[in-house]
Amino acid sequence: MESQVKEIIARVLNVPLERITDELSSGDIPEWDSVGNLAIISTIEQELELEFPLEDLFDLTSVRSLVEEVDKLTNA
Amino acid sequence: MLNTAHSTLLCEVLSRAQECPDKIALAEGEVCVTYSQLLALVEQVAGCMCSLGLSAGDPIVLVANKELPFVYCYLAAHSLGIVNVVVDAASPRERLDYIIDVVKPAALFCNGSVNVDGVPVYDFNQLLTAPVASGQFKPGNSDLKSCDVADVMFTTGTTGAPKGVCLTHDNIAGSARNTNGFVGTSADDIEALALPLSHSFGLGRMRCVLMAGGTLVLVNNFANLKSFFTVLDSWHVTGFGMVPAVWQYIKRLSGRRIARFAPQLRYIEFGSAALPVEDKQMLIEMFPTTRLCMHYGLTEASRAMFTEFHACAANLVTIGRPASPLVEACVRDEAGNPVADGEDGEICVRGNMVTHSYFNPADNDGGFYGDWFRTGDWGHRDANGDYYLTGRKKELINVGGEKVSPAAIEDAIRSLGIADCACIAVPDPNGVLGEVPKAFLLRDGHHDSFEDIKNGLAGLLPAHEIPVEWEWVDSIPRTASGKIQRLKLKQ
Repeated sequence: MESQVKEIIARVLNVPLERITDELSSGDIPEWDSVGNLAIISTIEQELELEFPLEDLFDLTSVRSLVEEVDKLTNA
Repeated sequence: MLNTAHSTLLCEVLSRAQECPDKIALAEGEVCVTYSQLLALVEQVAGCMCSLGLSAGDPIVLVANKELPFVYCYLAAHSLGIVNVVVDAASPRERLDYIIDVVKPAALFCNGSVNVDGVPVYDFNQLLTAPVASGQFKPGNSDLKSCDVADVMFTTGTTGAPKGVCLTHDNIAGSARNTNGFVGTSADDIEALALPLSHSFGLGRMRCVLMAGGTLVLVNNFANLKSFFTVLDSWHVTGFGMVPAVWQYIKRLSGRRIARFAPQLRYIEFGSAALPVEDKQMLIEMFPTTRLCMHYGLTEASRAMFTEFHACAANLVTIGRPASPLVEACVRDEAGNPVADGEDGEICVRGNMVTHSYFNPADNDGGFYGDWFRTGDWGHRDANGDYYLTGRKKELINVGGEKVSPAAIEDAIRSLGIADCACIAVPDPNGVLGEVPKAFLLRDGHHDSFEDIKNGLAGLLPAHEIPVEWEWVDSIPRTASGKIQRLKLKQ
């Protein structure tokens, strides 16, 4: 699941996959702005057929947090 | 000693450096720059620019990220009468190449390096450390005038060819004065700037805060709201600017969390796109004592009108009134004649912040009625003097405040082998970005799926320019002269 999430982030932001490290956070690179962040959230929800709980969205600020949240939701 | 007489903005920075030298002017991360340090840094960069052989009237391209050296470079160029051409670092390469081709800059400054044939390229940081050659710094050029061009900002042209808007020192100071007068930004304010510095709105906020003698804290962007809220908290921020799409983003990702900052926020400035009435009502309720100001304007006529939500709570659909007594507006018909209150026509403005000319004088054709700038927006004025937008003559698509040219998208789609196409603005189905592009494609035996075409565009256009809605059609409506009739596609 981790590789799928990273692939989606790279594709949505149109940046090379190797730039999508665990530590990368929203706002760290110009491509990951608020519009990019919304696109990441909706593409992950659509392609991985899940829905992020509203109360968790505020904390999804990095690649790591997105991967962990997807793991949590798919294993629930 | 810097030459500042021609620039009100520089005069204000200079007087602040003399009156309260230790006051923080700018901050980014852990770095704080006082007004006296800012002045010294601007002098250092101006000296380097002289050493590089740059002089008054030379255009230079500043490839802007939101970073302190950009601000020093921007102000240093003003002090020497050098003309800043500000380009977003995230712009597609074609846009940068187009702008370079048009303005033929004497130099390009950026963070890092850019390969450009025939133009000397310098890193912003080089200017901060390079020694200034003795005898090269000649800041005492008294020929500089406040009506000289200070900046050239490129718009997104409807035809796909961006237009360079010439803004004089008087224009940018006038816009900042009008804005500060309405919004209320003062020397007591600490503002968080998360908007891009390369766009008219963000660059304007920077000038407003420095003109007022306040403190400006640079923040990457709004994407990481946790970081943004931390800045609001730790700096005890009193104001900031945002586009409506960011408000939708804040609502979606953080709910009402931002309301806890309401007591400390003296103002929020909105601009660049429309904000639904329901959101204005929500903001009034969440920020009962904050001035909630929304501007209407264009790069050519920055902050032409303002409205304040609390003051206009009974009429939240107006775009407001002229920003100051130095700004005038009127509504004119197709022939350029003023129309009566209540009648629709083209909104025209004139005043201290309105450009006098485009970089390419040929672009002035049809852009003005005398000294009245034609906004291309349709609307009317009511009997109280409040203005309303009813449509847009220009066909730009406003994606979350980013103005997107339909022609640029159409060119990219045609490059994929689609015989013909046309793009228009449609409401964002997610209700966040305001408008998004919709593409109409000429079927003409083409069998690619929309998904294939979308993927093909990924490397050609920024993500926000890729159409969200798609439709095959049997013909693209065109005028006899071959222009796409986009309004017909909206019907």
